[in-house]
Amino acid sequence: MIIPHPLLGPRDAQEFTYLGDASLMARPDPYSESAEAEFCNYVYLRDNPAGIHRELWFHEQGDRSWLIITRDTLTHEILGAELVSADKLKAGL
Amino acid sequence: MTDLTPLTALRDRDPRSARFGAVTLSEKSDLSLASLYIGAGRTKPHPFGLDLPDIGKISNAKDHSAFWVGPNQWMIERKSPSECDFAAEVKAQAPETAVTEQSDGFVCLELEAPEDAMTALLAKLINLDPHSLTPDTAVHTGLDHMTVFVLRRSVTRLDFIGMRSYADSLWHALATAAARMNNLDT
Amino acid sequence: MSRISGGIINRDAPISFSFNGQNYQAFEGDTLASALLANGVQLVGRSFKYHRPRGILSAGSEEPNALVQLGRGARLEPNARATVTELYEGLTANSQNHIGPLKRDLMAINDLFAPFLSAGFYYKTFMWPRAFWEKLYEPAIRRAAGLGRLSFKPDPDQYDKGFLHCDLLVIGGGAAGLAAALTAGRAGAKVILADEDFHFGGRLLSESYTLGDALALEWVETVLAELNSLPNVRLMPRTTIFGVYDHGIFGAVERVGDHLPTPHKGLRQTLWRITSKQSILAAGAVERHIPFANNDRPGVMLAGAMRAYANRWAVTPVQSARDPIAIFTNGDDGHRTALDLLAKGVELLGVIDTRADAPRFGDYEVFASAKVSDSKGRHGLAAIEITHKGQPKWHKVGALGVSGGWNPNVHLSSHHRGRPIWDDDLLAFVPPKDGPKGLIPAGAAAGRGCTGDALSTGMNAAITALGILGLPAHKISLPETLSEAHKQEAFWHVPATAVDKKRQRKRAWVDFQNDVTVKDIALAHQENMRPVEHLKRWTTLGMATDQGKTANITALAVMAELTGKTIPETGTTIFRPPYTGVSLSVLGGGDIGQNFRPKRLTPTHKWACTRGAVFVEAGQWMRAQYFPKPGETHWRQSVDREALAVRAGVGVCDVTTLGKIDLQGKDATEFLNRIYANMMGTLPLGKVRYGIMLREDGALYDDGTCARLGENHYVVTTTTANAGLVYRKMEFAHQCLWPELDVQIISATDAWAQLAIAGPRSRELLARINDGFDISNEAFPFMSCAELTICQGLSARLFRISFSGELAYEIAVPARYGNALIERLIEIGQDLGATPYGTETLGVLRIEKGHAAGNEITGQTSALMLGLGNMVSKKKDSIGAIMSRRGEMATESKRLVGLRPINPNDPVVAGSHLLKLGSVLSLEHDEGWITSACYSPHVGSAIGLGYLDRGDARIAEHIIAANPLEGQNIRLEVVSPHFIDPEGERLRD
Repeated sequence: MIIPHPLLGPRDAQEFTYLGDASLMARPDPYSESAEAEFCNYVYLRDNPAGIHRELWFHEQGDRSWLIITRDTLTHEILGAELVSADKLKAGL
Repeated sequence: MTDLTPLTALRDRDPRSARFGAVTLSEKSDLSLASLYIGAGRTKPHPFGLDLPDIGKISNAKDHSAFWVGPNQWMIERKSPSECDFAAEVKAQAPETAVTEQSDGFVCLELEAPEDAMTALLAKLINLDPHSLTPDTAVHTGLDHMTVFVLRRSVTRLDFIGMRSYADSLWHALATAAARMNNLDT
Repeated sequence: MSRISGGIINRDAPISFSFNGQNYQAFEGDTLASALLANGVQLVGRSFKYHRPRGILSAGSEEPNALVQLGRGARLEPNARATVTELYEGLTANSQNHIGPLKRDLMAINDLFAPFLSAGFYYKTFMWPRAFWEKLYEPAIRRAAGLGRLSFKPDPDQYDKGFLHCDLLVIGGGAAGLAAALTAGRAGAKVILADEDFHFGGRLLSESYTLGDALALEWVETVLAELNSLPNVRLMPRTTIFGVYDHGIFGAVERVGDHLPTPHKGLRQTLWRITSKQSILAAGAVERHIPFANNDRPGVMLAGAMRAYANRWAVTPVQSARDPIAIFTNGDDGHRTALDLLAKGVELLGVIDTRADAPRFGDYEVFASAKVSDSKGRHGLAAIEITHKGQPKWHKVGALGVSGGWNPNVHLSSHHRGRPIWDDDLLAFVPPKDGPKGLIPAGAAAGRGCTGDALSTGMNAAITALGILGLPAHKISLPETLSEAHKQEAFWHVPATAVDKKRQRKRAWVDFQNDVTVKDIALAHQENMRPVEHLKRWTTLGMATDQGKTANITALAVMAELTGKTIPETGTTIFRPPYTGVSLSVLGGGDIGQNFRPKRLTPTHKWACTRGAVFVEAGQWMRAQYFPKPGETHWRQSVDREALAVRAGVGVCDVTTLGKIDLQGKDATEFLNRIYANMMGTLPLGKVRYGIMLREDGALYDDGTCARLGENHYVVTTTTANAGLVYRKMEFAHQCLWPELDVQIISATDAWAQLAIAGPRSRELLARINDGFDISNEAFPFMSCAELTICQGLSARLFRISFSGELAYEIAVPARYGNALIERLIEIGQDLGATPYGTETLGVLRIEKGHAAGNEITGQTSALMLGLGNMVSKKKDSIGAIMSRRGEMATESKRLVGLRPINPNDPVVAGSHLLKLGSVLSLEHDEGWITSACYSPHVGSAIGLGYLDRGDARIAEHIIAANPLEGQNIRLEVVSPHFIDPEGERLRD
């Protein structure tokens, strides 16, 4: 696969390490009343869609940026790629 | 000066060098390196008068140069003589940044070849279009399962900066490619 | 000799080669197949199952029959297709799959047993009795199976790999591919034109017609000359594109040296990974045959291949030039072969055309509405039976060309699961609409095989691709072509006449290589193995090395006929990479043995070599395992000596491989507090703290030390194995979880040579290199760190930490000085007993001290189990803290214990299971396991560490260590994991 790196342009997927669902960025509040249940969901429960999937890729043999890639798991078509940091900025973090 | 005798990354007193037809491969052991990191949103300093370069680029000043490593991150280089506390010099120039000594973290192997040979060699080494590696371009990519910085110093000169512990394997990869291109033994 | 006039061979360059030990002559430009035909060799091999005599069927990579063993010795290569083997001086080939001479193959007896070897025979025959499978059936089948033989020697040749990038990859260099490459090349696009053949031109080389007012070959040469002159075009002959991968990535093998006499200097093959923005599939088409009784005799050949041999290689497949040739066809294409042969003065029996309205294009006989119904000849074709107007009649022939229509070469277009589409007019499958993105089929591969169509679809495909690339596209002037007759009827096989029992026993081959006949397909139908996927597995259709390129569609048509469905209703199988076989050697990319994967060497490697160290691979690192001394004949002698030397005096060990991560920034402290489970925020300047990291699920992840070098500056160490992973995880935590924290993370593992100096005399040794820094116990107590200079001004970092339980330090110097430093330490510490030690001793020392390592931190263990439960701070959040407190983890009762055999001579084996004394040795009584074991020279026996239920409360209890693998049951005493200095006085001394 080719990953369209938002800063560096198209790069071969071999330069990257795949992590998984981008929901891993949303770590639950450890001080919440139901923290244990929320962490249980966070750690173990993930959607596995046949279709559009937002996921985390790490440019390990590159600029060491974490990216959010939007990929169609049925066709491998990549519909979007952005830096995690840009996404966090958008979210006001 | 310490009375201990240093070794090059290829574990010798003197840097290694070899010739394969029109291609020369040589270890550069006279480089000082320090990584420089600025916090997000801070203004770029100008250590040694350098303009810290844009994404994927190299910038040069008199005795120093800098190349882009990642967002808000650069590697600062000084040409000979090599020192192992170059970080202190960089920090003095850019006190608001995080500077880490890297002179001994890497091996630098320099490839000199005519343009056509360089293009052919690059095709055997890294999975990037050689034509995108114009002079003063710096990329970080994979090479034979190692991670390397590839710096196009000029049309006929390339530096491969890899992790020091991989020096022998990196030499092997480059020497093999150069030798094969000339049907020579490594 | 059956050489005729013309051809693209260099008659001034004769080549000698040998086949089955006999020497022959041919010319430069020949393939092994054409060279054999030129020498009158028709019989070239035996079929897989029935060992039937076989000849050359095709002129390309689809060849199912003419598989040979090439070369000799270590260069022996099985299953090489003679049809694509470029001839070179001294080539040696042998036929395969026979016992005894090729003409008298002993295994040919299989053919008599054919009724027992029908479809599904594996499944039916060898099911009973069950016990026979392993002892009898499987060894016999394995002996008989396979075609060629391997050399069982290491491959002596060189292979390489590389990467290419382009705008447009054109796959196939025939009429369509050349037109496409020229169109795109002139437009300035970066083009790669690849063809598996050694000569570009595709079918143009094999046909006799003209393009414009020139011969096809002249046009090819003109186009090639222009393409060669364009710097933006790369021509890659002898290159097979074998797979289409995601986003425009293609796998290719370039046969760089296969056509050169061996052994030759240089590369044999190169594996290319080609990344292309757009691509054109111009891979041509593969001709079908028409099954009839005994259609597999040498001398029966595809009519298009026969034409190719005549036009390109100037040979005919007859053993004697006087033997006439016949053509069997269901369309106009067969007539073209007849015309070309006539033009070359070849004796022609005529054209047997299945159609009632069979045309005649020249001066030859046409048998309209006729079929070839049988053949004769022991090792080659002698006669065919033509059934014409209902009457069978035998005719003497030397060869028969068969044309059943052409299948577009859709292979690559369905590598992404797209299903080929049936075209009723073409009577063939064409590429799917949902094929790989950016791949445009053209020419015969798209079902547009007439030369004029091939040229224009090639050009138009390039124009489309250029448009997508945003490059200006202009039409090129294409040569004029004559329209070619290409009518055909749907005629798939010659059925046996129903009345004649004897005829019904005769077999008509569909898949030559795997011996699948029309009857096998009928049987599969009868046994309800009707879906194509079942048909394939039941009959082994298309499962040979040729993957059924000449067979699959015909088989499908036969099945459709039997089920009364249409071909598209019957379905088609799709294709996977590779298009043709790829050798494992070239997939390996060339680096073998020592260089199979990169190695990491420590800064003291050179010195360790001179000391005769034995090395061990730790991940990619090469680490000194132990340093044998003269007279030591067993590794235990060296390790025992090293371990005792450390405890008695001082030892030095290279621990550079531990990961070192540099953290800076005003929030570095807070960041570390969230990464480590224990409290790091309170770590004072100049101090080191042991730390544990958890995974978010609460399990123990890694351990190491954290040193505070400055207000906002830390250096942390990780285990060797997790150095890269922890660095990645920190980047994740920073970028994805807490980007608001001001922290900069940089790996510095390779920058520093780090040496452990351990033992009661380590301070004395250190003092001898120290430039004056106060290292007294008062000024620099246990768990201190500092930056200092040693050896007259060398900057260094000193950490007072211990992995051995002894008074110990770790000193870090710039990597370039590591070698000189260890040399210096051993030299000046001789009187203190300074001893280098390796990873083996490192392991012994840490087991004796009860320190956890990878054996204990397995990803399934927790801090609680290590007895470090209290370290997980409840005062703060950190990765894994919440989950480590959940019920299952908080109530875990296993604890790390030390284990010592009651009988000091008994072994302790890691992996053994721990059980109560007297309990039944079964899983339900299992109470834990041994994680680490070694011989402890300090204790004087083997010792171990292990996890045991409520282990902390069972000190002094005797238990059993069961090792069912070796039938051992050893009695052990449960002891503290700290075999030495349980109070920790030595390291604070």
